[in-house]
Order: sequence, then C-alpha cells, then structure tokens
Amino acid sequence: MTGRIDRAVNYALLVGFSFVALYPIGGIVLAALQRPGELSGFSIPRDLHFSNFAEAWTQGHFATYLKSSLIVSVSVVVVATLLSLLAGFAFGTMKFPGHRLLFYVFLLGLMVPLEGIVIPLYYDLRALSLTDTYWALILPQIGLSLAFGTFWMRAFFMSTPRSLIEAAEIDGARNWSILWRVLVPFARPAILTMMVLIFMWTWNEFLLALVMVSSENLRTAPLGLAFFQGQHSSEATLLAAGAIIVSLPVVVTYVLLQRHFIRGMLSGAVKG
Amino acid sequence: MARVRFVEATKRYGDVAALEGLNLTVEDGELVVFVGPSGSGKTTALRLLAGLESISSGHVYIGDKQVDDIPPRERDIAMVFQDYALYPQMTVYKNLAFGLRMRKVPGPEIDKQVRDAARILGLEAMLERRPRQLSGGQRQRVALGRALVRSPQVFLMDEPLSNLDAKLRVQTRVEIARIQREFGTTTVYVTHDQTEAMTLGQRVAVMKDGALQQFDTPKTLYDRPANLFVAGFIGSPAMNLTEASLDREGDSLVARFGDHRLRIGDDTLARRPELHRFEGRKVVIGIRPEGFEDASIVPEAPPDRRLSVVVDLREDMGSDVYAYFSGLPAFTPETTGKPNDAADPTTRPPDTATFIARLSPQTHVREGTQAELLVDEEAIHFFNPETGLGVDGGRTR
Repeated sequence: MTGRIDRAVNYALLVGFSFVALYPIGGIVLAALQRPGELSGFSIPRDLHFSNFAEAWTQGHFATYLKSSLIVSVSVVVVATLLSLLAGFAFGTMKFPGHRLLFYVFLLGLMVPLEGIVIPLYYDLRALSLTDTYWALILPQIGLSLAFGTFWMRAFFMSTPRSLIEAAEIDGARNWSILWRVLVPFARPAILTMMVLIFMWTWNEFLLALVMVSSENLRTAPLGLAFFQGQHSSEATLLAAGAIIVSLPVVVTYVLLQRHFIRGMLSGAVKG
Repeated sequence: MARVRFVEATKRYGDVAALEGLNLTVEDGELVVFVGPSGSGKTTALRLLAGLESISSGHVYIGDKQVDDIPPRERDIAMVFQDYALYPQMTVYKNLAFGLRMRKVPGPEIDKQVRDAARILGLEAMLERRPRQLSGGQRQRVALGRALVRSPQVFLMDEPLSNLDAKLRVQTRVEIARIQREFGTTTVYVTHDQTEAMTLGQRVAVMKDGALQQFDTPKTLYDRPANLFVAGFIGSPAMNLTEASLDREGDSLVARFGDHRLRIGDDTLARRPELHRFEGRKVVIGIRPEGFEDASIVPEAPPDRRLSVVVDLREDMGSDVYAYFSGLPAFTPETTGKPNDAADPTTRPPDTATFIARLSPQTHVREGTQAELLVDEEAIHFFNPETGLGVDGGRTR
C-alpha cells in the first residue's frame, strides 16, 4: 500500500519538476512557430510557421556564428580532453613531490570565476596580439576546462581498481600504454561525459566572446544571438527561433550521448 | 626459472613495519606459500617481490640479480591478482596477448603462445569473449593464462582462489599445482587459508605481524611447529592447547593439567631432551585432534595415557567423529588484547579451553556422558609458556 502511495508521490514530484523545467522551453518553441507579430504570451499557434527559422537563420547570420562556435568548441573539447586525461592520470595514479599542492592549484581554476580574470586576460592576450582571433576564445577556454577535466579524470582514475594498473605494469606496459590501452577504453563513459560537459560550457560561453572578439565573422552563436536580439528586439518569434537554432547543437549532442552521459555520471557513485 | 631471495627485506609505512627483516630463499622451480592472518606481511612480501612496493631496507633477488630498484615490467615476473584484474574492455584473446604485445613479440608467435595457453587451460571456446561474460572460475583461468603465456621467471599469486566457491577452489587449486609442476616455474603464492597452504606449498612460510614464524615443509610445520602461533594456525581443527605442570613421578615425567595426568614416556624424552629443563615447571602442551582415540575401542590402552572427560558435543562427519569436551585449564598466549586476536587461532577464552578430539567412526562416545580418551604420546607437543617457542620444535627460520 505504502509502495503505491510512494510511487504516486514520486511521479507527482517528477512531473512537477519536469513541468517547471520544460515550461519555458516549451514556451520558446511555441513562440518560434507563431505567425510573426502575433505573439501574446504562452499560446498555442494557430498554424505552424517554420519559415521563422529560415528567416532568423539568414537575417541573424547564424551560419557564420555556428561555424565559429563549432571551431572553438571542437578545438577546446579535443585539446582539453587530451590534456585532462594526461593530468588526471598523473594525479590519479602517481605519487610525485608536490602532487597535492599542484592539484589544489588546479582546483583554483574551478573556483575563480571567469568574470574575475577576464579583464587582465584581455590585456595579456592583446599584448600577444591574439585578441579578435579564434585563439583568444580557444586558449582561455582550454585552460578553464582543464581545471574541471583534471578534477574529473583524477577522480575516475583513483576509483579504478589499482590491480588493473599493476597488472598492466607487470605485463610490461609503460605509463603511456597503461593510459591509452588499459585505462582510456575502460574510462570511455567518464570521458564522454566530460566531453559533453566541456562542449556545453564552451558552446554557451558568452562573456569571453563578448570581450575578446569584435569581428563579426568570429562571433560565437550566443554572442551572435545577443546582437541579433539587439537588432530585432520587437520580433519575438524571430528571437525565439534564433534561440532554438543556437541551443540545438548542445541538445542534439546531449540526446545522442545521454546513455553514456548518465553512465559516466554514475560511475564511481555506484559500484558496477 | 630462477631462485628468489629475500635478504633482511623490510617494508615500513611511517612507524609501522609491515614486513620486518625477512630472510627467505625460494629455490628454483619451487612453489612456496606465504600464509598468515591479515596484517601478517605476506602480501607485502609478495608486492616487494613484484616491485609494486618499494623496499625500505634489505634486498630482493630474482636469480642472481638484485631487483630492489628495478620496475615490475623488467623483473620478468607474472602475477595473478585476487580480483583477477583482467582488462575489462579486451577479449580473452587480447587479455592473454597483452603482455606479449607489450614485449614486442612478433604476431605469429603471440598467436601460437596464446592458443597454447588457452588449450592448457581449456579457454579455447572463450577467446572472443570479454571478461564480464565469463564466470568467476573462467575469469580465474584467464588470469592464470595471462601469467602462463609469458613464461616468466617467477609466478606470483595473491590469494587467487579467494573469490571462488568451495568446490571450484579445490579444482583450481589442483589445476594450479598441476600447471606449476608441468612448467616448473618458481612460484610464490599468498593465502590466508592454511588448508590451501598445506596442500599446495612445497614449503610454507608462516607469517605473523610482519615476521616470519616458520618456513618449512607442510609436514614439518604440522609435526614440529616452531611456536604456539604456528601450532595453532596450521591444522584444522586447530591444535588443542592447555597449560600443564611437568612433575617427576618415580623415574618418569608426568604432565598434570586440571584433574588429568599424562605420563611422558622415555621415547618422548629421548626425542625432546630439552623437556628435562621444564621439570617442576609450567609447560604448554598441545595435542592435535587426531592425537585422541576412544580408549574403549583400542585394545590394551595404557591407563596412564588417558583423559577421562565428559563429552559436550558429538559431531558425526562420516569419516570421523568430532568430540568436544571442556574444563581443561586454558592457555592464553601473550598476544591477548592485540587487535588481531579475533583472527588469531591461538587465542582462547581465558579460563577453560574447549578441546576437540577427532575419533574414528567406531567410537562409542555419547553427548553428556563420560568418555575415556587415549592420547597418542607422539602427538603431544610442548611449548615454553614464556616464549611460546616449541620445546625441541622446528626451527623458527
């Protein structure tokens, strides 16, 4: 009896929270499909206007922005993943002088907000003539992602059975082979999860792009959306369509990888 | 193949010595078992040999080579881990081949060796499966195969049977013994299970608190335990221990404990001349369960070698009958109060000891009735109550 009540309460809570989470998203999707100029709050469109997307795409130059975002995000994800694996492996499996202190330095990267460093960073990059280039977006975000990535991979490598590493050592593997042949295939869910998270954060980064680039063809999608918003502040249907275009890649990535993502999130928490 | 030597090998973690001054030689082709309760240093010794722990002082030799600072991959050893440590994402074939690939063995040679090992261990049908698709016993065989395929100088085995069920454990034990004999590879095997140690080891090193207690053949450990710990640890059920006083009666010695007295014959005294020193003093006597027999079924059982006891419990095992009796003065070794005592078989309740006698199935003993038990004099062991050392027992090292 209590089982049934429990389950009903569980479902009620889950449905409630899902509604809270989905309501604004649903609102935007519905808004994007309204006839232009007819938007009034949360309402079901009378007929579906997919043309809003085409309109937003061309007017907002989203092809350019998405290309920039893709270049930046993919570069950051690839390089940060590679470096996080190496650093996480070192911190997670080796004992070297100062490893604890060094790790705290890495953690600092997780704690200091970008807002706190973006101004000095701007001057540094300008001194290197890197502002208004892709480098200005890619390099700082690799650094920012590395703090989380190292933390994440270290936790994973620490949780892998020590005997697995020892068996490989005795089998004749050097560190490089242990990492790439034994641990990385084993760590795939955790690595994919990390990649999805870094991709999302990089894709959605706004402040850095705003400060670092001024050329239109370097603008990332969120930045482009902001400019688009400034130009079309009254055309809510177009804005909604633009917002969906910008967020779609992240949603698609997540949906495609969600099985691995959830497995990665649970690994370590639940014994396999 | 190679000889393995520990010379004053010591491992300390801060102030705690996990292994203290181990001196021991495993001969070429020999299978030596390290046995002891948890925290005895047996696994530490194995890990020092593997190179998975750095040595604090002393040396380890494999063959003539001192390996103290040589990384595991260059020691030419193979290890079977307690949790098997199979590479989860690799097939059985790749698991077996990994060590050879790391050593840059040519492909056709790898294939041949992997298939040979698979054939020896009956793994041929599973080469394309992954570890998680295998049963515990199969995983265990893959782990063995991974060690075998490399033809190393030394096999190291860290409690390889502890995750298997009882029946499989016996089977795999026999398998390990067979393979070891077939290949003649020097093997160091670690276990906490004395039955495993006794059945598998050509020689057995009994460890406790980081120190070697006795290193000898299973038979010598059993017949001539060097000290009380070895006496209590080796043999199942454990040796019965009680404190007795050794007095002279006429021209022979008599051990008295509780209401009982046992005459110590001239043969025993001749074998253990040191016993004379304990005349008029306390001594710990140990009698193995099989040292008893029901006097009523032994013709001409001498009266001065009997214990008259009340049987508390009778267990029929089929091949034997276990009779439990109590009321004898217990001997509590000086180890009482240490954290390891729960696992220490020499520790008994303070006042009286429960004895176990293993009798032939023809016995007439009944629960709750008086029984006359004959003690086989040769099965009596004597220990110094102060040092715990055996009186004319086996050598400690």
